[in-house]
Amino acid sequence: MTIIATYNIKGGVGKTSTAVNLAFLAARNNYKTLVWDLDPQGASSYYFRVKPKVKGGSKELIAGDRELDGLIKATDFENLDLLPADFSFRNLDLVLDERKKPTQRLKKLLAPLAKEYDFIFLDCPPNISLLSEAIFEASDLLLSPIIPTTLSLRTLEQLKKYIKDNNLKNIQLLPFFSMADRRKKMHREIIETLAQQHPDILQSIIPYASDIERMGWERMPLGGYTKRSRSVEAYQSLWEELLASIK
Amino acid sequence: MTENPSNFELPSNLSAKKFISKLTKEVDLQIVTQQYTIKTFYDTFDWRLYNANMICEFNHSQIISRLALNDNKKGHSIASLDIENVPSFSQEFPDGVFKQQITPPLEMRALLPLCHLPYETYLINILNKDQKIVLRLQIDDYEFLKNRIQLHPLKGYDKALQKFTSLLQDKFELTPSTYSTVLEEALKQQGRKPKDYSSKLAIKLKPDMRADQASNLIYKHLLQAIHTNESGTIADTDSEFLHDFRVAVRRTRSGLSQIKNTLPAEIVAKHASFFAWLGQITGPTRDLDVYLLSYPQYKDVLPLTLQDNIAPLHDFLIQKQKQAQKELAEKLKSPEYNKQLLAWEEYLNEPLPKKSAASQADQTIFELANQRIWKVYQRVLKEGEAITDSSPAEALHDLRKTCKKLRYLMEFFQSLYPETNIKLAIKSLKGFQSVLGDFQDYEVQELSIKDFSDEMMREQVPANTLLAMGVLVQYLDTKKCEARNHFSQQFSLFIEAKNKTMFKQLFTQKA
Repeated sequence: MTIIATYNIKGGVGKTSTAVNLAFLAARNNYKTLVWDLDPQGASSYYFRVKPKVKGGSKELIAGDRELDGLIKATDFENLDLLPADFSFRNLDLVLDERKKPTQRLKKLLAPLAKEYDFIFLDCPPNISLLSEAIFEASDLLLSPIIPTTLSLRTLEQLKKYIKDNNLKNIQLLPFFSMADRRKKMHREIIETLAQQHPDILQSIIPYASDIERMGWERMPLGGYTKRSRSVEAYQSLWEELLASIK
Repeated sequence: MTENPSNFELPSNLSAKKFISKLTKEVDLQIVTQQYTIKTFYDTFDWRLYNANMICEFNHSQIISRLALNDNKKGHSIASLDIENVPSFSQEFPDGVFKQQITPPLEMRALLPLCHLPYETYLINILNKDQKIVLRLQIDDYEFLKNRIQLHPLKGYDKALQKFTSLLQDKFELTPSTYSTVLEEALKQQGRKPKDYSSKLAIKLKPDMRADQASNLIYKHLLQAIHTNESGTIADTDSEFLHDFRVAVRRTRSGLSQIKNTLPAEIVAKHASFFAWLGQITGPTRDLDVYLLSYPQYKDVLPLTLQDNIAPLHDFLIQKQKQAQKELAEKLKSPEYNKQLLAWEEYLNEPLPKKSAASQADQTIFELANQRIWKVYQRVLKEGEAITDSSPAEALHDLRKTCKKLRYLMEFFQSLYPETNIKLAIKSLKGFQSVLGDFQDYEVQELSIKDFSDEMMREQVPANTLLAMGVLVQYLDTKKCEARNHFSQQFSLFIEAKNKTMFKQLFTQKA
């Protein structure tokens, strides 16, 4: 089982669409896949038409009173399940803080799912918090979408520093460009410069595209309503790069 | 909580189309596909998948060609494979879950089609108010059977499942059924039923039956097994047809010599030679089948550096087996074979004489069974006790043959004895027989591989192949010695006091 967190300190960078679309591709390639919507806004739950409601809320979930398996919902796609969000997830930080070894908590909760799933995608809320620390502990890969702007670049550097300072050796950071608009000169330039300065940034670039935005209208992953497009190809290429980087 | 039924039968006058249109009034549904499909059920000749609680079905339509391995009661999927043609043997399957699941029950047996069912299938999604799929349905509209619904629940949507199940049961008054009834009913139309063949002997005898009448029943049963396995043996569908064919022949021979004096002596003499001939002509092919079945093991025991060098032995065995099989098939298709087998069948179908010429024909079968089993058992004890560590191999081979006679007698007559006890007695003998069987098998294999190396040398195989075969001979010799060393331990287990008491109680009792 490989746990992949789609994470960025900044919001609105395409974390949810990355988690949802890559999970869709994993499932289509016959990998048993789960998306855990950890964001109280419940965007990935919305994309899968699943009610953002978890029995017992964040408290019982973190306490381990309910097994995660019992809270999981099948999506409309074969091999692809979802652990929905709940509005109470806005308090996840507080609830974690009340536990012993809070940063180990998610890892422990996820362990029993190892025999059932090949891939688990954690769709994370933004910010660096206790929850994100717990996410870093639980994940094998940190897939971080960055919009090609100077500000995003700063957050990437912050994240790298954080990983270094906290000695998080077991996690592999995989940044990639997201919502890239080729019509904008600045986007093109930043992509070019950054690719040279940061060779660890993946080659695949997810474009800023209307068919990705349509996910909210269609309420399903991109591949569910579009068979062929530049965006579909971009996610396919990102998926292949991701698969290749799994050691 | 009781489990939700997942299979339902539609009444015979209700078509799938009509049902779907009624259903539309109750739930929000979406027809995903509708297609004409041919379903073919598969199993081995001796129902190995069914016995392992599995049903294998191949569904072929213009857009789907899928082989599925399902649980035989609930119908849930154990594994499935998108494949154009169904492989015959487990080793021909692509690596993966399907192969892992099917290999242990199948062993060396071929997967054979049981029956074909044409049907129209509808895949339907049941949606909630968010247009999210909460349940999937498959409705099969058969040409010759009652139509069926299969529910495929989705994780986390138990309430939707319960609600829909209640709708089917309360509103539509449908009866839950089991998945396996499709197969059962399809077979029924062919006058068949599941598990209608087993290589195990199950002959129902009554203790007070006349001995000649009971032995006649046993021979008829064995003749049936010969007939049943004949075409698979001729076609070489898989190696078990010949194996079962040979077992039936050997049991018949054993019956003719061991169920003494129930048939007139001239009849026994006339037919025994035919069955001896059958044993003899089927031997070479069976031996080669055994070597081929053991081949993966032969390869495994070699050092890694020699494993590839043994390959010419495989080619050699295949070629030899093909030749032997061809000769065997010709003999089994010959007028002589058919004439003799028919003569035996006709004899068995003749009405029994009121007073038989054979001296023990009028005895009850229970008396005769006791007498014969007890006598052969005593012989096993005597021969076994006479064997020491320095006894020659022949002594063990003779004992093996005597044990086989005892085993066949116990199996012929097992319905005359309390089931648990006779099974225990057979089991105690089985453990002991396996050591004798191993000893014999390893010895024969060792000698044969040695002979093959002579033949292969003349065909100028590479030196390393002969080297690998030399290592193999050494391995077989070690295994043979191991079996020889286990003999005394296994024999002492067999003659333990509790076993002796059990044999005595079983076979010296009065009716």
